[in-house]
Amino acid sequence: MIKFLFKGIIRDSSRSVLPIIIISLGVALTVLLSGYITGMMGDTIDQNARFETGHVKVMTKAYAENKDQVPIDLALLGVDSLVKSLQNEFPDMEWVKRIRFGGLIDVPDEQGETKGQGPASGLAIELLSTKNNEVERLNLKSSLVTGSLPTQRSEAIIGHEFAEKLRISIGDSVTYFGTSMNGSMTFANFVVTGTIRFGIASMDKGAIIVDVWDAQQMLDMEDGAGEILGFLNTGVYDDEKAEKVKNAFNSKHTGNKDEFAPVMLKLRNQNNLDGLLTYVDLASGLFVAIFVFAMSLVLWNTGLIAGLRRYNEFGIRLALGESKGGIYRTLVYEAILIGIIGSFVGTAIGLGLTYYLQVVGIDVSGYMDQANIMMPSTLRAKVTPSLFYIGFIPGLFAMVFGNMLAGIGIYRRETATLFKELEV
Amino acid sequence: MSTKQILKLDNVVKKFPVGDGRYFTALKGINLEIDKGEFAGLVGPSGSGKTTLLNIIGSLDSPTEGKAIVMGQNISELTHKESAKLRNIHIGFIFQVYNLLPVYTVFENVEFALILQNVSASERKKRVMEALEWVGLQDLADKKPDKISGGEGQRVAIARAIVKKPDIMLADEPTANLDAKNAHQIMRIMKKLNEELDTTFLFSTHDEKVMKYLERIITLKDGSIAEDKQVTPQKTLK
Repeated sequence: MIKFLFKGIIRDSSRSVLPIIIISLGVALTVLLSGYITGMMGDTIDQNARFETGHVKVMTKAYAENKDQVPIDLALLGVDSLVKSLQNEFPDMEWVKRIRFGGLIDVPDEQGETKGQGPASGLAIELLSTKNNEVERLNLKSSLVTGSLPTQRSEAIIGHEFAEKLRISIGDSVTYFGTSMNGSMTFANFVVTGTIRFGIASMDKGAIIVDVWDAQQMLDMEDGAGEILGFLNTGVYDDEKAEKVKNAFNSKHTGNKDEFAPVMLKLRNQNNLDGLLTYVDLASGLFVAIFVFAMSLVLWNTGLIAGLRRYNEFGIRLALGESKGGIYRTLVYEAILIGIIGSFVGTAIGLGLTYYLQVVGIDVSGYMDQANIMMPSTLRAKVTPSLFYIGFIPGLFAMVFGNMLAGIGIYRRETATLFKELEV
Repeated sequence: MSTKQILKLDNVVKKFPVGDGRYFTALKGINLEIDKGEFAGLVGPSGSGKTTLLNIIGSLDSPTEGKAIVMGQNISELTHKESAKLRNIHIGFIFQVYNLLPVYTVFENVEFALILQNVSASERKKRVMEALEWVGLQDLADKKPDKISGGEGQRVAIARAIVKKPDIMLADEPTANLDAKNAHQIMRIMKKLNEELDTTFLFSTHDEKVMKYLERIITLKDGSIAEDKQVTPQKTLK
């Protein structure tokens, strides 16, 4: 019977072409949007983790409460021993010190007069250490536009746009003015060895990256750091593991009322990512639900029209002795066959488009000037294994559901009028 | 009911509601017995109840009153599924319009009746070709219905009905859309099947060309049997 139905579907284009087109479009759209959301959110999570939040982050309680203001006066102290204890307790993670700071960059000319000035967003990392992956993690080498990475203390790299704005050349000396951890004014000179472009608006606007030791000296925070970031060795954020590490760490400090006591937050607890990720999950689910509903309505109507066109055929089949249930079941089988074909075609189209957007991406840098969330300026889709089947479920379900609704008409058919109907 | 008996109608009444609690009585107490191998026809003017009676015998409808026993089964007591099974196994239909499935070939149209009976593919092939041979269309097996003539279409419909070797064939005005030559050819084929396979044929017709082949003519008038007589078909036709 299946073979017989399949022949009918293939030969009768009016029975199959329109539903296949509808399902293919819907499934392609589902796959593309899903791939796009996955890619975009994956990149956003990854960038947030690499540049700002880590998979987990340790701060003082007071720093954590005001972390948006980067309050270095509330930074952690005794971080070397804290990092060692973290490494011992969680050996499958890498722990690194980071200091965020803000201030003014002054660029002098040959006579020592100011030729350019601008606000800088500083990031101190373990740049000169060979015991961690910070250089690779931040893609510093591939982000270099000109020059090279610092190889010794008192050297810095700065954002390429920032450098152009202040007319800084490689080898120029710049002066940082700011506030130390104790609230006093501080300044330090750095030789610019390179310029970088991360492709992240919030970083490229005015970034200066120095070694953490230089920042500690400059900010009077010996053995201190604003944050200690922890990264799972797999390199991929795992919310369950991060939650376990966080709970294990925080349980040791719950009784400590000191506002400088350390506290650990996981990625989802930072930068409003929890809300964003929940929203994206909900939006994805809602999109699939709307897709299934809309497709079912369209396919229901398609099924009704097909039912009218095949009215005679169903009559003959009833007369030949096929039961109403039998005809209904064959309609469902046909829907499954068409649903599989449509979903297969739609998945192939969707994957192709997703791959294209993965390679090319969509440049949204123009909309990111005022963004305070860390997002890539080129949003890319990502082809993941789940995309190979994610469209199948709604595609198949919508087709079968639509046809099941349309097929109910079979049960209302009166066999008593078959002779009259079949002789028109 | 004897083993030779195909159907027995006992005081069958059929009423149709016409609104305001009133009914139109299409069949008024029909009593009829048909035995295996008969070549009979229901004749009468339009509205005399021929098609209504054929509907009941074909288990497409059930009587309002009385009993209709077809192949030993009381039509009134059958569920939809049981009615379908009765049609599937025991009854073949031939319509005025051939009603072939347009997307399938002649072979596949005939084959469909056997697919519904879950007959194996090899057995289906054998029986379909045999049925097409009976109606002289074995060479058109791969043609689509739109590539054959009206007479050939009706012969395919006969093959589709006969392929499952039903006990009774119900034919409603089978020659109405055919010219005289094709009508005679169709009737000769059905008579041959009746003689060779001992299949019972019951026609509903007012076509003189059909009546000439019948061996029993049951005349209906206003929902009642006005006359039921055995006749001798014209020898020249045989």
